Amino acid sequence: MTSSEIVPTPPGIPSAPASEAAGPPGTFTGFQASRYRRALLLLSAVMVVMSLVGFLVNGRDPQIRAPLRAGLDFRGGTSIQMELACHDPGPCTTSQRLRLPVVRSVLADVQLEPTGDRQPAPAPSSFNVQLLDDGEGILLRSTALTIVQAQAIEDHLATTESLAPFQQERTQVDTIGPSLGAQLLQSALRALGVAFLGVAIYIAFRFSPLNAALALGALLHDVIIVAGLFAWLGQVWDVQVGSLFAVALLTLAGYSVNDTVVVFDRIRETDRLQPQLGVIDRIDRSIAASLVRSLNTSVTTELPILALAFFSGGELRWFAVALAFGIGVGTYSSLFLAPLLLGLLKKDKDMA
Amino acid sequence: MVRQGWLPVILAMVLAAAVLLGNQSLQLGLDLRGGHQLSARVLSPDPQVALTAADLDGVKNVIQRRIDGLGLAQTRIQTVGSDRVVVQLPTVRPAPGEGAEAEAVGDDTLQQAANQITKKAVLQFGVLRSSEVNRYATLVQERRNAQIAVLLGEQQLEQLQRSRGDGEQRRAVREELEASRTIFDQLEQDIGRLFDLRPLTGDDLVQVVAEPNPESQGEYYQLSLTFSGPGGQAFADLTKEVAADSNLRLAILLDGRSISEATVGPEFRENGITGGGARITGTFTLERARELEVQLRGGSLPYETEIVEQRSVGATLGSDNVRRSLSAALVGLALVGGLMVLIYRLPGLVAVAALAIYALFNLAVYALVPVVLTLPGIAGLILSFGMAVDANVLIFERIREELRSGRKLYQAVETGFSRAFSSILDGSVTTLISCLALGYLGSGLVRGFAITLGIGVSLSLFTSLVCSRTLLKTSLFLYPGLRRIKYFQPVQ
Repeated sequence: MTSSEIVPTPPGIPSAPASEAAGPPGTFTGFQASRYRRALLLLSAVMVVMSLVGFLVNGRDPQIRAPLRAGLDFRGGTSIQMELACHDPGPCTTSQRLRLPVVRSVLADVQLEPTGDRQPAPAPSSFNVQLLDDGEGILLRSTALTIVQAQAIEDHLATTESLAPFQQERTQVDTIGPSLGAQLLQSALRALGVAFLGVAIYIAFRFSPLNAALALGALLHDVIIVAGLFAWLGQVWDVQVGSLFAVALLTLAGYSVNDTVVVFDRIRETDRLQPQLGVIDRIDRSIAASLVRSLNTSVTTELPILALAFFSGGELRWFAVALAFGIGVGTYSSLFLAPLLLGLLKKDKDMA
Repeated sequence: MVRQGWLPVILAMVLAAAVLLGNQSLQLGLDLRGGHQLSARVLSPDPQVALTAADLDGVKNVIQRRIDGLGLAQTRIQTVGSDRVVVQLPTVRPAPGEGAEAEAVGDDTLQQAANQITKKAVLQFGVLRSSEVNRYATLVQERRNAQIAVLLGEQQLEQLQRSRGDGEQRRAVREELEASRTIFDQLEQDIGRLFDLRPLTGDDLVQVVAEPNPESQGEYYQLSLTFSGPGGQAFADLTKEVAADSNLRLAILLDGRSISEATVGPEFRENGITGGGARITGTFTLERARELEVQLRGGSLPYETEIVEQRSVGATLGSDNVRRSLSAALVGLALVGGLMVLIYRLPGLVAVAALAIYALFNLAVYALVPVVLTLPGIAGLILSFGMAVDANVLIFERIREELRSGRKLYQAVETGFSRAFSSILDGSVTTLISCLALGYLGSGLVRGFAITLGIGVSLSLFTSLVCSRTLLKTSLFLYPGLRRIKYFQPVQ
């Protein structure tokens, strides 16, 4: 066991000169996170507040009325995605590309048969129409349609002569009934709750309840900020959140806690090996020792996710974006936020 | 050097995984192969009546029979959660060499399937018309032949699929199987038409239980039926009628198809079977009795079903998804591998080898379990690449620290591995907790992700701890030229 561990400056991070507060001069030349405590805490506070503002803005938006713009999975509805035949190999000529007014007028001609005994069919003119790939594809969203209704729309678009031919092999239709949507939302929320609780119990068992509370706090911080980003994305670009977003949050939960645990583990080891140092000092050393590892791990995890974001489309791409952003935030919070707060709380306890 | 004992084990496992993957193909989900998925929710009209798991099985079985009757290939029907039945109608993709276009399930068939799912099951009882006794005997013989043809076809197809045999032959077998299924379904309907219906239906059936037949000392099974009051009376009349002639039979019809034709003993000629209870005995195996039980229960359930989800993915879109996710996985692997070598030099190279083994093991486990691969599932796999490397990053950082504090190379490697262990374990356990929560509570897509990520995290414990350690130490042991600090850290 080395009791005189020397922690060098990690490459790329400017070394902070040893200060009086860190102990006798010359003993420690690592990165001292506690010196930037104010700035780091302020950064977290700003991001959390911005996220909360995003939730509020969405909640007041009559079209959303929820903190996040719920997708098909959670709200129920039908989405029909079609692609022009000329898209592959592409590109389509200007005259072939779809234009919104034309598509809308074509849609207005569709006659849909009624949904059930009493319910009338939804009006195709009320559909949300989006063009994809510069008008080489189209995405329709509506309230839940029956199979017959969805097929009628698909067939109508495919046979209308004023539109370029579609490739039916590339059509994707998704319908989620409203009752199933509510059920999916509920099970996603329950999964999040159970996962948080399970992780908290494990950490409380392996470390201490204080550590568990902090790891969970860091996790909550990450989840709020990622959800906040998507609140703003929903406001600005109509990005919707579905089951995959819930999966991203859960994965993030695992990752963020994993990261926090690694730092806590290091703090515990430093506490044991160098008990002569002050609380803040021990935590600073542990952060510095974990820094390179945490950054390297983030980068190695981010690379495949970026590859995923680059190669995939649609919902899966936003899933990758949520993960990529979340891992950045998660690395930051587990490296700085949780340990710094641990230092503050422990210091108070020591003084009391 | 006890650890070196792992090397042959690892090599054997790699070999086994490779052989397994060579012989068994991976199962692709609908979003990767194209096709339709319909989910039906089973509703109880009376809020007092709760849907039990056995009831849901009954409904599933009814739906299964109807979908099989459509003669579609490779359909998959599962129960999900407490009240849903999911029906998948995939695009039938020709195997390499089969030389045919992918056969998508047409829109008309989709509509037909949806109708079959939402139709309420009808269970009826009937008596064989005395004029049809001979025709009945002929049809029963034909039905037995058709049933054997279906069973043989299923076995043959399974064998061909496992051995990846000739594509042309497989296609022929599959077409024949579909034809046999249609013939079988037709025969069941034809037999059903030979019976005159009586005023007794599934609504009158209160309870159905498959149980061992006491007279056969438990060798055979029987079904005991319990009817409601009026149903019991109708059943007594019915059995009295059938008992009158030993050639007659009492049929139970599900959706117009006969699922059981029984005789009634002459001792019931006077009054029929009274008391509202009856047993169907015979040489039933447990399996056959269970099947009948589920069918009877399905037909007697008061539940309605509604379609709550439809997902359709075009066949080309599916293969596009495969291509894209494959590219993402390969590029992701290459980037991670490149970075590891750049940062960690020799250990990085070892980590790349461990990562390759990791990817291979993952695929082998998918083929073995088997795991149905979906887009979110592949996303979980890709994400787990990064996490698998994480353990190695932790270890290698530790090794560097030990080297800096002046330890000998070999000792540094050993200490690095042992000191990183507790963080690796904690990290893996927390991720597994998330996966478990997702797997238990999530829906289809979510579960796919949780399963692949969970398998990945578990496997990475083995590859990053055992494989990379063994590989690193073996290479140091065999090639003394590698034992230089500069292969472990960049010159400072």
